[in-house]
Parts: sequence; structure tokens; C-alpha cells
Amino acid sequence: MSHPHKVYGLGAEFDSAGALLAAAEKIRDQGFSRWDVHTPFPIHGMDKAMGLGKSWLSAGVFVGGFLGLITGICLVAIPSFVLYPMIVHGKPYDWRTFPAFFPIIFELAVLFAALTAVFGMFALNQLPRFHHPVFNWDRFKRFSDDGFLLVIEARDDKFSESRTKALLEQIGGRNVTLIQD
Amino acid sequence: MSHSTESSNLTAERFDPARGRRLSIGSFGIAAVGFLVSAIGLLNNREQFAFSWLFAFFAVFAICVGGLFWTILHHATDSEWSVLLRRQMENIASVIPSLSVLFLPLLLLCAPILWKWWDIAPGVDPLLDAKAPYLNHTFFTVRYVVFFLGLGGVALVLRGRSMAQDEDGLAVHTFAMRKAAIIGLPVLGVGLTFAAVDWLMGLDYHWFSTMWGVYIFAGAAGSSMALIVLVVTWLKSAGYLKAVNEEHYHTMGKFMFAFTVFWAYIGYSQYMLIWYANIPEETIYFKIRNTESWNTLSTLLVAGRFFAPFPLLLFQGTKKKQRLICLVAGLMIAMQLLDLYVIVLPSLHQTGASPSIYDFSSLLAVAGFAAGIFFQKLSSTYTFPIKDPRLSGSVNLHN
Repeated sequence: MSHPHKVYGLGAEFDSAGALLAAAEKIRDQGFSRWDVHTPFPIHGMDKAMGLGKSWLSAGVFVGGFLGLITGICLVAIPSFVLYPMIVHGKPYDWRTFPAFFPIIFELAVLFAALTAVFGMFALNQLPRFHHPVFNWDRFKRFSDDGFLLVIEARDDKFSESRTKALLEQIGGRNVTLIQD
Repeated sequence: MSHSTESSNLTAERFDPARGRRLSIGSFGIAAVGFLVSAIGLLNNREQFAFSWLFAFFAVFAICVGGLFWTILHHATDSEWSVLLRRQMENIASVIPSLSVLFLPLLLLCAPILWKWWDIAPGVDPLLDAKAPYLNHTFFTVRYVVFFLGLGGVALVLRGRSMAQDEDGLAVHTFAMRKAAIIGLPVLGVGLTFAAVDWLMGLDYHWFSTMWGVYIFAGAAGSSMALIVLVVTWLKSAGYLKAVNEEHYHTMGKFMFAFTVFWAYIGYSQYMLIWYANIPEETIYFKIRNTESWNTLSTLLVAGRFFAPFPLLLFQGTKKKQRLICLVAGLMIAMQLLDLYVIVLPSLHQTGASPSIYDFSSLLAVAGFAAGIFFQKLSSTYTFPIKDPRLSGSVNLHN
């Protein structure tokens, strides 16, 4: 393959979780926005070090749960009170029967909230996808073993092949590599 | 975990002994007024006194057992976040042994009034005869002793070891406390459940609910966490526990939220099963509490214990803001008192709520007494476990 590839970004390795955390703080302070870290395990405080802020997922889950609640109420109330008003088990067919319906309403609220959480997470992470350019970097597979990696995307406004590379090396990054798309 | 590089610049601090003594004497003073008024009730209106005293006693007892629960949970689950706050949980739990004295007036002077089975001869009620192996004077008294020996013993062992660690900082204490906590778990579960069965469910010996113990536990654990929030905030405002930050409040708030939901879940399940099956010997409990003015209080309980705190605690912002979470914590404790009130007093006033001065004086007496002991315990030691090996992990907590 001789034709030139598009550049995806720059990858760098760090020695430890602590070094990566310090590096992330510096990258954050430089004002980069399109970058990520890849580590074998979650690092406490990394979200703050990266300046990530709070995820929007919880708001979506709240809306999902609320929709489930409304769906549950409609699902039990419309048939029982409007379409087929019948006395079952000696219980009246108005709001006083609601205790019998709580399990259904509760379960639907939980179900909708859980589904929103899963699929919302997929959407926010742009999943599913079958390949990602970072895998073109041969050292990337260490992310699941002992690698503490930082990747800055070329899409970032502040990205420059030479200056970003120098920056990564200056803050302690090793094996700084250009990743092809 | 890998980020505990920041060294904890914590200085060992003790609560000002002079202030502790003042607060303790003040609390005992308030309690003395309560005792005095309640003593008049004991002589003039023993029925009202008995039920009021049981209400106040159990409300305070349950919150203190909740403190023991959080201590045990900390050790049994090998938690790190709560090291900084653990001493306050231990202080609350260490009030339990002293409370045993406050049960004596009920046991010695009011038992036949409170627990109707007390004076019924064998052969009169076949339902009682079937329960006689459990509901008899000797076993009842033995259980009272066992509850306090068990719960109080675990509380004192855990606090003693924790204070020993303040001196030498050895990890061996941590392992010993973990062992004690594992043994303490069944002691707590069985103790609180049977205390609730004996003293509260026994108010009507015909009635029974298999969820009773869990229901009482759910209320106790939640309101106890609320009390821990209030105590920690008070200590912070007095200049202690400076290392407690919004991350700790966030975690405490999550536990308050969890037990708000758990209380509602258990309370609803108990109600729904009884309501749906509609068996008279079971429904009598809710029949009394859902009619007349008791219905207003029961509705207020459901609203204030679940529907108000639930949406508030749902948001991170509430849990992280001291002022807001303290408001919710205050509400939770008030609702715990209301919960116990609606459990105990309808047995006496079956046709509607009838508040009495003795309800109030009993609460003053028992809560004041407990607070006095608490302030003594507070000023007798450091405000946090100063040499716990994992203190810095707790200080640098990240959610």
C-alpha cells in the first residue's frame, strides 16, 4: 500500500497510572478537546484530570424512567378504569386499586430507565463499531495489559503533527507514534 | 486507588472536653425535665405514659442500632470511604448499652398495659396458647437481656478496638474489627428483628407480619445515616472534621437515598400483601391506622418518608450541598419519629390520634439522655480514627 493514509492522531505511552493522570491534566490545560486515555483499569480522578464534567446519560435515564412510569400508569389505568371497569378480587375499579398496580408501574419505570441507560451509553460512545483507527497502532493492544496510553485525535483544532508530538514527549510520553486512519 | 499520592495533612483532634461536658450536662438537664414530667404521667396516667415511653424509647433505640449497622457494614464490607466518619457511627452505637436502663420502666411497671398477652391466663385464648412457648414472662425478659448484651457488646467491642488503634495504629485491629463485624451481622439482624417483634408487634399478639423486622430495620438504617449527616455537619461547622468534603456527603446521600427507596419498598410490600389478601386478622393493623385522624398521619408518613425525599435525593446536587442534604436528613429523622408514633400509639387510641404531653416528655427524656451519653462518648476520644491504616484513602475519596 503505497498511497498515503489520512492521519488519525498521535499516541503516547506513559509509565504508570500516576504519570498518565499528570499528563492528562497538562493536556487538559493546553485546551485539547478531542483526545482520550486507554488504561487496563479505571483510574480514580481521571474524569476530573481530563476535565470531562458530568455525563449527560443520567438525564436521559431520568427521562426514560419517567416515560416508563407514565407508560405503566396508562397501561394499568386505561384498561382497568376505562375500557373494562370490573370488580376483581373484591377491589374497586378506581384510584383506590392502585396499590395492586404499583409493581407493574415500578417494573416498567425500571425497565425503561435501564434500557435508556444501556442504549444511551451505546449512542454516546458511538457503538457498535467494528473497527477503530487506534488499533492501527501496534502498541495499542497493551492497553488491556500494562499500557497507560494517551491518544490525541488529528481532528482537534489544536492538533499539529510536530508541536503536539513535542508536547507529548515533553510531558513524559514514550513511543510517541503517528496513528494512520 | 492509585491516586492516593496526596499525603493527608490531618492533625489528630479531640472534641473540646469543656464544651463536651457543657453539652452533656445540658442534654441531661433537658432529659431530667422529661423524666420529671413523664414520672407524673407514670403516676397519673400510666396507660398514656406506657405507650408514649415505648414510642420514644424505640425511636431512639432504632436510630442507635442503625449507628451500629453502619459501623458493622463498614468493617464487614471492608469499606474505605467511611473511615473518616466511622468514629461518629461508633459513638452513636455506643449509646445502646445505656438505653437498656430506659426499658426497665416498661418491663417492670407497664408490661401488662402494653402487651395484652402479659396477664392472660393459659386456656383463655387458644391463639395465645399456641404462642406461649415464645410469649411468656421469663423468655421475654431473657430476650431483653440478650438483645442488649448482644447489640451493646458488639458496639463496645468495635469502638474499643477502634480506640486501641488510635494508640498504636496496628493493622491487626482492623482484622479483629472485621471478624467482630462478621459475627455482629447476625447479632444485629436477629436482635433488631426480635426486639421489634417483642416490643412493637407484641402490642397486638394476634397480629403478625413476616416483614416486620425488615421494615423496622429499613427505617432505622436510613434515619441513622441522616443523623450521621447531621452530626458530621455540626462537627464541621464547629471546626472539626475539616477533611470531610462533598464526596463524603455524596456517598452519605446515596445511602440515604437507597434506604428511602428500601423503606418504601418494604413498607409497600407489607401493605400490599395484607391489603390484597384481605384477611381480617391481618388487616386490623391497617384498619386502625388508615381510618380517622390516623389516616392523615399515615398519609403524611408515606409522603414525607418517600415522595418528598425521593425526588430531592435523586439529584447529585442535593447530595453534595450541605444545607440541602441536612434539610432532607432532618425530614428523614422527623419521619422516623412519625413512623414509630403511628406504629405504637394507635394501639392505645384506636379511634384517632390523641397527642399527649407525655409523648413529648418521653421523647425529651429518652433523646436527651441518649444525647448526653453521646456527648460524653464524643469528647472521650478523637473525632476520627486517627491511625487507621486506610485513613488517607478515605480523605482522598472520589466518587
